[in-house]
Amino acid sequence: MKHKLLPLSETMHYILLALREPFHGYAIMQKVEEMSKGHVILAAGTLYGAIDNLSKNGWIKPAAGENGRRKVYQITAQGEEVLAHEKQRLKHILSLYEMSDECEKI
Amino acid sequence: MKKYKFYANVIKEEQWLNEQLQAGYKCTNISSWGNYTFEQTNEKYVMRLDYQDYLSTHRFEEYKEIYEEFGWMHVKGSRFGSIHYWQKISDNRDDMFSDRQSKSNYYKRLMNYSLTFAIFFLVISFIIYDGNPLIVKELYLTQGLWEMEGSLFWKAFLFETPFVLLRLIPILILFVSAIQFYMSYMQYKKIKEELSR
Repeated sequence: MKHKLLPLSETMHYILLALREPFHGYAIMQKVEEMSKGHVILAAGTLYGAIDNLSKNGWIKPAAGENGRRKVYQITAQGEEVLAHEKQRLKHILSLYEMSDECEKI
Repeated sequence: MKKYKFYANVIKEEQWLNEQLQAGYKCTNISSWGNYTFEQTNEKYVMRLDYQDYLSTHRFEEYKEIYEEFGWMHVKGSRFGSIHYWQKISDNRDDMFSDRQSKSNYYKRLMNYSLTFAIFFLVISFIIYDGNPLIVKELYLTQGLWEMEGSLFWKAFLFETPFVLLRLIPILILFVSAIQFYMSYMQYKKIKEELSR
């Protein structure tokens, strides 16, 4: 899988993970703050840019008529594919970490 | 309080606006001709400037909605490719961008904006200045002006001078927007170097 947004930046990664549930703008920031244990606090411009970019690529979409006037977003099937791909990549890197840990033990 | 200022540089303008706000003001209106209106307040406000290309009505709504949810108030900016002035009550989350990537994209937008501006005025300058704008004599269009003598010459000369200055405006703007392009390019380059380090 090749794409200009891959590998995902920390910001994009957290937003995609958060949007496995539908959220509106500010709630995405709150969710990401919670998921990252307070390490990633999104600012408005960064969030807008990310949403715009992710929507353009069809990785997220507006969720159908929820929460009244506010716009709610949600991950798409294509977005899920991206996450699955990133999961494999990170798993592999993690396995490399674990391998070197074992070497140290011996 | 009203203040007149002309800024061609977005970064400098933002600095100046925040200096005013720190003195206990909030900005209530900005006209297109550099007329800034401030109002005294007990709250501490901050201002951030953003640039966005043309946005459809739908995307403009989306853009404003997200910022407003974060407590930003839209002071000025149209959806047809303009600077957007955002103001909010200061807390510890006053930045508009939280990662390097989006910050660098911001400077890239400013860079493209000032480049478009500069090119536009370059074209205008070419159209307006048939001759060489640096030759003062050619800027005066009155027939036979330089052959006139005495008070007749001075009358005609003084009469036309304001028009000559008006004709010089595009080249001044061209000059200023070239500076802005250079400054945002330098900021962009700096952030890009930090990113690749």
